[in-house]
Amino acid sequence: MKKPELLAPAGDFERLKIAFFYGADAVYIGNEFNLRANADNFTLEEIEKGVLYAHSLNKKVYVTVNIALHNAEVLKIEEYLVNLDKLNVDAIIVSDPVILALAKEKTNLEVHISTQASTLNKEAVNYWYAEGASRVVLARECSKEDIKDIKENTKAEIEVFIHGAMCASFSGRCVLSNYLTNRDSNRGGCSQICRWDFDLLDGKEILKGEKPFTFCTKDLSLAPYIPDLMEMEIDSLKIEGRMRSSYYIATIVKIYRKIIDEYYHKRENYEYNCKDADILRRCANRDNTPQFFNGIYDESVQYYNGRLEVTNQDFLGTVLEYDEKTSLAKLEQRNYFKKGDKVEIFGPLTSTIFEINELYDEDKNPLEIVRHPRQIVYLKVPEKVSPLFMMKKA
Amino acid sequence: MKAVIVKDIKEATKIKDLVDAFLLPIKDFSINYYNTFMLEEVKAVQKLDREVFVIVNKNIFNNELPLLEELLLEIEKLNVKGIFFYDIAVLTLKNKHNLKTDLVWSQEHLTTNFETINYWYAKGVKYAYISSELTKEEINNISKHTKATLFVNVFGYQPMFTSRRNLVNNYLKYFNLKDKSHLKQISKEGKSYPILDTKEGTTVYSNYVLNVAYEDIKAKYLVYNTYLIDDIEKVLKDNNYPKETGFLYQETIYRVKKK
Repeated sequence: MKKPELLAPAGDFERLKIAFFYGADAVYIGNEFNLRANADNFTLEEIEKGVLYAHSLNKKVYVTVNIALHNAEVLKIEEYLVNLDKLNVDAIIVSDPVILALAKEKTNLEVHISTQASTLNKEAVNYWYAEGASRVVLARECSKEDIKDIKENTKAEIEVFIHGAMCASFSGRCVLSNYLTNRDSNRGGCSQICRWDFDLLDGKEILKGEKPFTFCTKDLSLAPYIPDLMEMEIDSLKIEGRMRSSYYIATIVKIYRKIIDEYYHKRENYEYNCKDADILRRCANRDNTPQFFNGIYDESVQYYNGRLEVTNQDFLGTVLEYDEKTSLAKLEQRNYFKKGDKVEIFGPLTSTIFEINELYDEDKNPLEIVRHPRQIVYLKVPEKVSPLFMMKKA
Repeated sequence: MKAVIVKDIKEATKIKDLVDAFLLPIKDFSINYYNTFMLEEVKAVQKLDREVFVIVNKNIFNNELPLLEELLLEIEKLNVKGIFFYDIAVLTLKNKHNLKTDLVWSQEHLTTNFETINYWYAKGVKYAYISSELTKEEINNISKHTKATLFVNVFGYQPMFTSRRNLVNNYLKYFNLKDKSHLKQISKEGKSYPILDTKEGTTVYSNYVLNVAYEDIKAKYLVYNTYLIDDIEKVLKDNNYPKETGFLYQETIYRVKKK
């Protein structure tokens, strides 16, 4: 059995480092012409820096170039691809066949086909492979049987989404943003109308449930099914969320890294740890389901919550330094905490649960409460921790 | 030329003298349409002596490939003018069987530039059905830069969301509400959008009837969609629907944050 690549999102260089630190084998990022036009995104200089950093760790960086081109963008895309090629990125992720054709003709870029192309069957997968794409990211509507059959009948690498938010529509078949907010969803302007509430009318009568009508779905999580995907020899397992926080990336990547490694090394005795499911759910603060993987997409996968998503404020801060002589960790605060709180500091492979007994401000004056965003503090930690470790409520 | 997506044979018969081509969504293989056609019904419309295109625009699931293959072989026998397709499997199966029926690249919101239309043209796809979210300038610029024959929507409600999920039925089931008719709408801030749940999934349409048939649009086929339109004959003869230009003069934006 081969070990699949664990592919994580990275909205910026900090999150790229965190994704790799917590166990991602590769990250996907964006610059121009990608479907997160309003994310921070990388500059070309930052891409170069990210690629050098990734390659120093023997890891990979893929760049999304997956918008639906309009005439104006067509004129600019060739130069952009040539520039990406010079940066030595490991692949680009595209949906428009013109970008695939140009990349093959004008550059040495490896090309992956984005889920935006909604590839659901082996005929389409093999078409893309014949056109020069080395990998296809399958549509999130594929069932376990679909994925298995496709993998068995193609030479293309297959990438499957395993975790994160879902489009309520087929990818590429939603322009609600265009019509309701004049923002082009297929060029990165999606304003997430599918999260809005609506009245559902039958004639003039409102069909009113306890919560309003919405398209909104629960998140995807295939954590319990990673062994199935590994048995199918799926090449890459992808986490959604380039606009998600560092804490989210760290937590989700860590859990999936653990599941993949455990199953790879202890296939015969492997058991899914149900506690992982709770961590995944709390981290996103949204329910999740396997979505289409089990062929079920009924009312149980919808999310009727009346938009009452209250952040759980589990994430307390990121470790910046640790002094082994004093056992003091320097930490940047992200949410309120105080002396006496029970907390957990975790890294990729370890975690330490303890009560905060010693807490100091940036100048090492004693402190009772940490309430300022991004405040720098010191606290005593009983076990050694490292930069990029994260602290959360225990 | 006027190309009309009709509801049924009766409507097609009624308007045949006002129409150059009929576009017929195929049962079980099309999405975004309430009314679909069996192949026998396609044959009946062909007898009206107008060009006939069939629409096979759903996303094809892996396990549907054998049925699609069978369908394409049957369509080949009909000698229709062309097949509107969304999924690339339609093209690969056409090539596999060396079928002669022409194809219309019909990826709805993704048919947005001339280079991609030319890419498919080079693959043997002679027609393209252009996105409704383009400006008139973009459409006419596409026309200038391609040899493909173009279809452009000029009248009717425009699909703006297509899901595999049965979103209306899911909601009704979850809250134990009764389903009364298929004619439903969702409403927000005073605007209402038709929403249709079929066994293929859910479609949401624009809150307005696009009406730009009078515009100087450089495309061979001007498409009229009769879904939810009671009297298409009147529209074709004497269109007094209000002018609604959609995106023809309204360019969308996609970056709202300053870089």
